[in-house]
Amino acid sequence: MIRLFKVKEQQREQAENANGGIPVKKQSAGELRLHKDISELNLPKSCAITFPNGKDDLMSFEVTIKPDEGYYAGGTFLFSFQVSPIYPHEAPKVKCKTKVYHPNIDLEGNVCLNILREDWKPVLNINTIIYGLYHLFTEPNYEDPLNHEAAAVLRDNPKMFETNVRRAMTGGYVGQTYFTRCM
Amino acid sequence: MKNLGVLCLDFISYFTCCSECFAGDKNESEASPWHAVASWTWDAKDETCGICRMAFDGCCPDCKLPGDDCPLIWGQCNHAFHLHCILKWVNSQTSQAHCPMCRGEWHFKD
Repeated sequence: MIRLFKVKEQQREQAENANGGIPVKKQSAGELRLHKDISELNLPKSCAITFPNGKDDLMSFEVTIKPDEGYYAGGTFLFSFQVSPIYPHEAPKVKCKTKVYHPNIDLEGNVCLNILREDWKPVLNINTIIYGLYHLFTEPNYEDPLNHEAAAVLRDNPKMFETNVRRAMTGGYVGQTYFTRCM
Repeated sequence: MKNLGVLCLDFISYFTCCSECFAGDKNESEASPWHAVASWTWDAKDETCGICRMAFDGCCPDCKLPGDDCPLIWGQCNHAFHLHCILKWVNSQTSQAHCPMCRGEWHFKD
C-alpha cells in the first residue's frame, strides 16, 4: 500500500513537470463539495446559474430568478453567490444585485432568508438556497423584514403593495426610492 | 476491536482456493497455497455523508484512506456522518450543536 502511494506521488510529480512545472491546483474540500452540488443542480426553468469568471472559479457565481407567479411575475432578479473554502460548514454569502422593492431584501441587496443565516446546516446545498430565494418572490413575508416600509405596506394594504411592486419593476419611484426597470 | 462492533462494521469474508487444493490427495500434509479476500462496508442507512456528500465507504475530503482512519459516527438521533465532518460542524457551533439532518440536539451515540 505504501509503495503504491509512492508510485502515485512520482506519477503526479512527472505530470506536473510535463505541465511546465506549474503544480496542478488541488481542489479544497469546499470546492469538491460545491462541484457535487453544481453537477446535481435540479433547477426550475425560472432559475438559471452562470459563472462570470469561467468554470475555473466555481466559488463565485450568479443566479438569475424569473418568477412566473405572484407579485413579482415577469421580473428578472440577479443574485451573486460567494462560497467560502469551508463550505458547507458556512452558508454561501448571497446578495441581490437587482434593486428590488421587497420586505425581505433591503435596498443594498442584503437578503433575509433563514437558511442563509441561523438555520443553515451543512446538509443543505446550492439547490435548496435557490429554491429558498425563489420562495421569497412567491411568498414575501412581512414578519421578518429588512425593508420595513415594504413589509408594513404588504401587511396593511396588499393591493397597494402589488401596485408598488409593479411600479418598481417597470422602473420608477416608490416613495423616495428610484428602482430601475427589471422586466 | 470493541469499537468495530459498536460502529457496526460488517466484515464479510470470502476464502477462495486455487485449483491446486482440488488437484487430488497426492500429499495431504503439504500446505496448499490459498488466497483470502475480504470486503467491508459501513452499515449505515445512507450511501453518502450528508455533510461532504462523499460515499460512506470512501472517506471525508480531508482523508486519504477509508475505514478506521476515517470512521463513521452515529448521533442519538441515529443519523450518521463521517466523524471528521460532524466534528468540524459541532466545533463550529457556539452553543448546543444540532444534527444537520433533523435539527435535533446532537449527542454522540454511546
